[in-house]
Amino acid sequence: MRSYISVFKMRFRMELQYRGAMIGGVLCQMFFGLVLVALYRALYEGHPQSVPVENVVTYVWLQQGFFRMILASDPELLDKIRTGDISYDMCRPVNMYGFYYARIMALKLTGSIMRAVPMFVMAFLLPKGWGLSLPASLFSFLAAIPALMLGLLCVCAIENITVAFTMITLDPRGIQGLLNLLMMILSGNILPLTLFPDSWQKVITLFPYAQLLDAPIRIYTGDHGLESILGVYMLQGIWIVLLLAFGIYMWEQNRKRMIVQGG
Amino acid sequence: MSYIEVRNLKKNFVVKKKREKGKLLREKETVKALKDLSFSVDEGELVGYIGPNGAGKSTTVKILSGILTPDDGEVSVGGIVPWKERKRHVKNIGVVFGQRSQLWWDVPIIDSFKLLKDIYRIPDKAYEERLGELILALDLEDFIRTPLRLLSLGQRMRAELCGSLLHRPGLLFLDEPTIGLDAVSKLALRDFLKWENKEYGTTIMLTTHDMEDIAALCSRVMVLGHGQKLFDGKLPDLLERFDTVRNVSVKYADGDPCLKLPEGVMTKKTEDGLELSYEPAKLPTAQLLSILQDAGNIRELTLQPENTDHLIAAMYKELDL
Repeated sequence: MRSYISVFKMRFRMELQYRGAMIGGVLCQMFFGLVLVALYRALYEGHPQSVPVENVVTYVWLQQGFFRMILASDPELLDKIRTGDISYDMCRPVNMYGFYYARIMALKLTGSIMRAVPMFVMAFLLPKGWGLSLPASLFSFLAAIPALMLGLLCVCAIENITVAFTMITLDPRGIQGLLNLLMMILSGNILPLTLFPDSWQKVITLFPYAQLLDAPIRIYTGDHGLESILGVYMLQGIWIVLLLAFGIYMWEQNRKRMIVQGG
Repeated sequence: MSYIEVRNLKKNFVVKKKREKGKLLREKETVKALKDLSFSVDEGELVGYIGPNGAGKSTTVKILSGILTPDDGEVSVGGIVPWKERKRHVKNIGVVFGQRSQLWWDVPIIDSFKLLKDIYRIPDKAYEERLGELILALDLEDFIRTPLRLLSLGQRMRAELCGSLLHRPGLLFLDEPTIGLDAVSKLALRDFLKWENKEYGTTIMLTTHDMEDIAALCSRVMVLGHGQKLFDGKLPDLLERFDTVRNVSVKYADGDPCLKLPEGVMTKKTEDGLELSYEPAKLPTAQLLSILQDAGNIRELTLQPENTDHLIAAMYKELDL
């Protein structure tokens, strides 16, 4: 276990070095957040939806704050696969899947916390109806935290599957582009899932992508009662198990068929 | 049984060829990287492993280090089949791929070492002791807290080597470790490897194109070509087989005379005089010298053995590699 914690810490520390990227990211996400909020407010002026506009705005800010959790891949890790430096990692007495899982988690966690905290402070200061609202209750705030953790486990498993695909295609761009598109739409990053037609939502919320941020945000805004919160946790848990199993299987297959090219 | 046992090892790679005009699908081609390779290495041996590019050297190292699974054949390293019990096997081996890096690019190298300590579960005391020893032997003190990206190639190579040896592996694979190093770094690296081998009885398998590495380090050398073993023995024995040519360069005081030389002597005119190569077995040296002396007034004459690189090139040529 120690080696996994150690690689986590290492990646964490490395991520902390990139402060310039963090500031750039915060500014970019603030801008996107404001544009999206303005857009939804304009939409509500013309045609109010069943979901209160404050909830939609809060949804947007939480999505933007945790943007790095959704869309961030480890360029060094993908480079390792492309260049063959991965052969060193294969000569280590560790489980490759776990080793990379820890790395990915460090990246996603550091990246999103570093950006989310300053962003939420700024978003709270915006005028009512434009900024981030407080959680529905203390309970929904506390209940949203485990859901966010489970979402993190879920997204790391998805990312590790992308990395495993890269082992086959060698170039990450194709598969990343494809999966990122799915991720952006189905996680609610582009359009809050709460604004999809009800019949669509029934299906979309079952997908793994909805478990990442949509589920914790709905708990935060008080969409779920106690019973349905437990249901959300369970659904997240099921996806985590499935995605982990699939990822581990893929890595195992990759190991068997892997060829490190060149001298 | 020897420490490393390799029996009838085979490995094929399937390569997709470029699509030909008028054909819908790409054709596949099987490249036989290793065909029926067998050898054994005893504990504490320092073996050089040479062969032209594409001979299968790296493939062998990758199989022995558990990265690749062979198609057929048996391998045992200290009683373990590398690709079957990968995790148990890799605990006891160290690998240095000269063209790759195991250390983290943006962080001080000491932090990369700490990570390796945790990965190999090296106890604190053993780690401190070993690190101190390696810092001294590899002269890392000056840049141990510098990020990898700032190091020169020679410094990086030494740091890589340190990283591969922290867990005291019993078996060390070195894949072109001296590539791109300057003379001082090369000598230091060789001294270190000799010391490590002598002090701890570490078995070392060295892949290289640098014949001086082999000459300086290895008591035994294996030559690989087309996926097969072509020679296995001492370096002098190998050289003797192919060391049939001598070179003479001669400079006359008053212009190059017209030489009447027996067949089999190659002559080359250079700015500086004449260069001749001949086979002492066919034409005794004394005879050649007297021919040269009779031809004119010699100002300078040097007699040299063939250099090792030429010998190896000649050997590859003769073995049709």
